[in-house]
Amino acid sequence: MSNAAKETVLVVEDTPAIARALRAALEARGYRPVLALTGQQGIDAAATSEPAAIILDLGLPDMDGTEVCTRIRGWSDVPIIVLTVDDAENRKVAALDLGADDYVTKPFSTPELLARLRVALRRRRGDPALPADPVLEVGDLVVDVAHHRVSVAGADVDLTPKEFAFLALLARHPGRVLTHRTILQSVWGPEYGTETQYLRVYASQLRKKLHDDPVRPRLVTEPGVGYRLVDPGAHP
Amino acid sequence: MGATVLGALLVVVAAVVLIPFRGQTSTATDALVLMVPVVAAAWIGGRRSALVTAALATVTLEVEFLPPYGTFKLDLFDDAVALVVFAAVALAVGTLVALEGERRELAERRADKIEALYEQQRSLQQEQERLAAEKRALELIGDYRSALLRSVSHDLRTPLATIRAVTSDLQVGADYDDATRKELLDLVVDETERLDRLVTNLLSLSRIEAGSLEPERQAVALDELLSARVRKLNRLLRDVRVQVDVPFTLPLADADYTLVDQVVTNLLENAARHSPSGGLVRVRARAHEQWIEVAVSDHGPGIDPRERDRIFEPFQRGEGSTSSGVGLAICKAIVEAHGGSIAVRATTVEQPSGATFVFTLPVHR
Repeated sequence: MSNAAKETVLVVEDTPAIARALRAALEARGYRPVLALTGQQGIDAAATSEPAAIILDLGLPDMDGTEVCTRIRGWSDVPIIVLTVDDAENRKVAALDLGADDYVTKPFSTPELLARLRVALRRRRGDPALPADPVLEVGDLVVDVAHHRVSVAGADVDLTPKEFAFLALLARHPGRVLTHRTILQSVWGPEYGTETQYLRVYASQLRKKLHDDPVRPRLVTEPGVGYRLVDPGAHP
Repeated sequence: MGATVLGALLVVVAAVVLIPFRGQTSTATDALVLMVPVVAAAWIGGRRSALVTAALATVTLEVEFLPPYGTFKLDLFDDAVALVVFAAVALAVGTLVALEGERRELAERRADKIEALYEQQRSLQQEQERLAAEKRALELIGDYRSALLRSVSHDLRTPLATIRAVTSDLQVGADYDDATRKELLDLVVDETERLDRLVTNLLSLSRIEAGSLEPERQAVALDELLSARVRKLNRLLRDVRVQVDVPFTLPLADADYTLVDQVVTNLLENAARHSPSGGLVRVRARAHEQWIEVAVSDHGPGIDPRERDRIFEPFQRGEGSTSSGVGLAICKAIVEAHGGSIAVRATTVEQPSGATFVFTLPVHR
């Protein structure tokens, strides 16, 4: 890949060792990494270096990572992947609700982070999602939005309208985590947001109807956060 | 009952005393003297004793002091009036005195009761205060434990995150040139060394908490200790210039080598963390009579004078600091276990900047 074609990835991370490890990993995969050690530097770099994606640590010394997320979303829809620690469940959800695309929990595996990054970059290059592609494909799962039809490996699957809306929403963002709130508001309506028990019921019905393998399901639960639809046949 | 007997007895005594003089005393005097037993019986024994004694006194007055003596007869109409008046007055006075006595007794009983209630309330209050103090102490321990857990999980997680990020990347065989591969492996080495220092600190902390931090004193050559420690930390200190200034005439310190080594390690790690790249970190030791003073100074942002005591308390991190918050607390505990002291001041005096940590150890004799 030539220098001009390299995609810039902004890494906002206050731990120098992790920032250096990410820089090496990104350079080796042909990206152009830009490092920022504080939230303010991150916001400045997001404005000046025109990154194709941002990897954002939520625990920054000068400001909360969710604040950085909000500020960047003020003018840009660049994909943002947040890095969090296990016990910061609500901040993780807050960041996703504020417009972050995905999250990875520390300590993370670099290949997994890079896989999430590829998903985010694909989304940016391809669809801005909503002018909906009438036929969505995730592995052997086909969702025909125009005709309200779903098939798995060629076999039709009967879904109720809510189940269909739930699945179609996830299929429009393959590989990406959508929060409980996002799903509830999009499928049930803007007055919903906390009724996660609905989602549990619908997710388990969908898994049954799609014949999901419990070990490698298509419909993945992100505990406390939301759901994502993946192609279980593909490697991360 | 006893009061009635006493009343009767007093009436008898009064009669016995007055009878020899009954020709010379007036009826009024006899009547007044006979009133005394009534008052006494009423005061002590209450209404019933008053009634009995009044009756007895009236009879005594009639029989012994109103002529004809020794009979229930009366010669004069005046005496009859006097007797009726005496009976009425004795009854009234006896009743009033008895009532007063009863009121007094009731008041005393009430006062006793109030006193008892007050005592009870005071002991309840004391118990309550004791329980509140106990609760506060337990809360402090709880706060301390959760601060410890927060600190430990944060400090362990940061190096672990780096190690996992690098090793997971190398495992999938990413295409790195030799220089990058070395840089990444160096990161892992640095972070494992950091974890090692952290674990050493935590073990010391648990010994301090358990009260079992007893320095094993020996004669320690500080010049050797300081140079050796700086050499061992060469990776941590690679971005700063380190100067060790110890005169060869420095007396030996009376100290626990391992513990003092830990103090020096923590102070150097601290200095390296806060120094600007290429900044000077100076380690200096001097003897002052019976004490050796060791100073570790950096040219970092320094410490706010208001914070200078607080930073030696456990889990106090500086603003935005990535340090564990236990290192300086351990330094203080170790130095004080040697009888010495530790403090921090600015490195440059004119325009205060940088931090200089100074601790003292006793000279070995």
